[in-house]
Amino acid sequence: MRGPGVSFVMVILAVSIGACAMFETRETKLQPIKRIGIISAVGDEITFARAGLTGLDTSRQSFPIGSWGLDDLIVQQATAALSGRFQVQPVSYKRAAFAMIEKDSPVAPVNFIRGDPFKKLVETEVSPQGLDAYIVITKAKANFGGGGRKVEGIGFVSYGTLLASSNHVHALYEIRVIDGKTFDVIEKMAAAPLDSAEPVRLPGPSRLVDESFSPRSGDPARNESLHRAITDLIARSLPTTLSDMHLAETR
Amino acid sequence: MTGNNQANFVLLPVSEMLKTALSTNDHSRSHALDNPIEVAVCVRSAGYPLRRAKRPRQNHHDLLCIALMALTLVPAVATAEPLVTLPAPAFELPVLPPVSGTWTVMVGVGGEYKPDFEGANRSMLSPVPIFAIRRAGSAEQFRGPRDGASIALIDFGDLRAGPVGKFVASRKANNYTELNGLGDVSAAVELGGFLEYFPVDWFRTRVETRQGFGGHHGVVADFSADAIVPIIQGVTFSAGPRFTWESTKATAPYFGIDAAQAMATGLPVFNARGGAHSVGAGAQLSYRFNPQWEVHSYVEYERLLGDAAASPLVTLRGSPNQTTVGMGASYSFDVKIR
Repeated sequence: MRGPGVSFVMVILAVSIGACAMFETRETKLQPIKRIGIISAVGDEITFARAGLTGLDTSRQSFPIGSWGLDDLIVQQATAALSGRFQVQPVSYKRAAFAMIEKDSPVAPVNFIRGDPFKKLVETEVSPQGLDAYIVITKAKANFGGGGRKVEGIGFVSYGTLLASSNHVHALYEIRVIDGKTFDVIEKMAAAPLDSAEPVRLPGPSRLVDESFSPRSGDPARNESLHRAITDLIARSLPTTLSDMHLAETR
Repeated sequence: MTGNNQANFVLLPVSEMLKTALSTNDHSRSHALDNPIEVAVCVRSAGYPLRRAKRPRQNHHDLLCIALMALTLVPAVATAEPLVTLPAPAFELPVLPPVSGTWTVMVGVGGEYKPDFEGANRSMLSPVPIFAIRRAGSAEQFRGPRDGASIALIDFGDLRAGPVGKFVASRKANNYTELNGLGDVSAAVELGGFLEYFPVDWFRTRVETRQGFGGHHGVVADFSADAIVPIIQGVTFSAGPRFTWESTKATAPYFGIDAAQAMATGLPVFNARGGAHSVGAGAQLSYRFNPQWEVHSYVEYERLLGDAAASPLVTLRGSPNQTTVGMGASYSFDVKIR
């Protein structure tokens, strides 16, 4: 019994050591990266949706908020958070191309086959090429509530219940680190919810707001309260997410 | 609802959630205790041995009391700060999503009062452990107590489909006097597909079709519809009808009586055929106090139909009315992996 037992342990050790050698950790992959470019395509529009106990019409509305300059803000804040470790270089890119791309197919196996759609986009739509890595920040999509409701990017959701309703604003985004030579995705993470004790949480940065944030209160692009709330969500969550990805120093 | 002695396990999309069930040995049919919504993970499982002996029954009560007491001693951390931070893994597999980040772990316990076996007229209380892990912030999707473990490989939001599985525990004849002489029915695994559709956020229709392996080799189709009504934030009530169809090969092992079994039991020979198996309704109420604490309860009623209801095992020794009542409490906390 002892012989086979020892052999089994040795095989396990060998496999483990081999696995460690074969598969680099993200830390290992991130170590040689010095020069990076930051791409943001999150904040071109805000969507308004209803969830929970709703009427039969649950269509969403979208409003342009390009005037808020959220993507410039994101690039600016990410640069500030990352410049301690990396040399951040300005890059130019077609923001609309990054914002419009269909990130995930509803049919999961398709995603495994086709690979990450941003790989090709970074290779063809970003200049200059040749940096060590590109940080790509785009809208994230996630389920909300127990039903089939999906929410994405910057938005406002009215969650209806039998006795009351609540309003939430959200800024759902995900960050990819794409290798500047191979264009492989080194790391990908969606921003997590902020500290909150709310029973109903969105799967990303969000907060409860009142009715004055609704589009029924006027043009969303001119709603300063809404603008400030979204900006605050991004400002509070971005350093945390970059830290969780091992890109920025621990908060 | 195939035969009896089933246990449900919840599978989650690996990238988002991992739910695991802590199943116990020789459990009877169990129902999901929590709504992992979203694909998240949880597990449910099942009860303890279904013996009629007084001692095991007392043990179940003791276990339930101990578990509930332990749960109340868990600190009520009402913050999203991780309770535990773990170091980064030594290596990562390229084909799998990284484990780094924050995960929500759910632990809990519940109790389920259900028929001893499908068709039985007596029930007993069994403890049900709850354990689930999912990505922090990933939404919990609605889940019915009778749902099989499923993964949505196709997810349009309102339309979801994918593989589904269910475990049907063995039925031991010597565990219950009503079954003496009938012989054991081995455990079965049912594999198939599910399709669910949300016409609106608060209404779900779902069908599961599964092929059995092991204890039975028939086909089972479960149909359900649930109105999901949020009462106030954190409180959700759901209810709706259920219907199950089973083929002859799925019905006969549990409700058929051959000549040898008839001799051993004194019951008449009965050739159980497939068809409409049961119809019923279920309701569920959950209350999430905060991101950490949740309590829930449910009741599922089904009336056996066709040859399942006509079997001498049911007509002479059991009942076509099958009711399951369950409740539980769970506590969630965050674990951060660097």
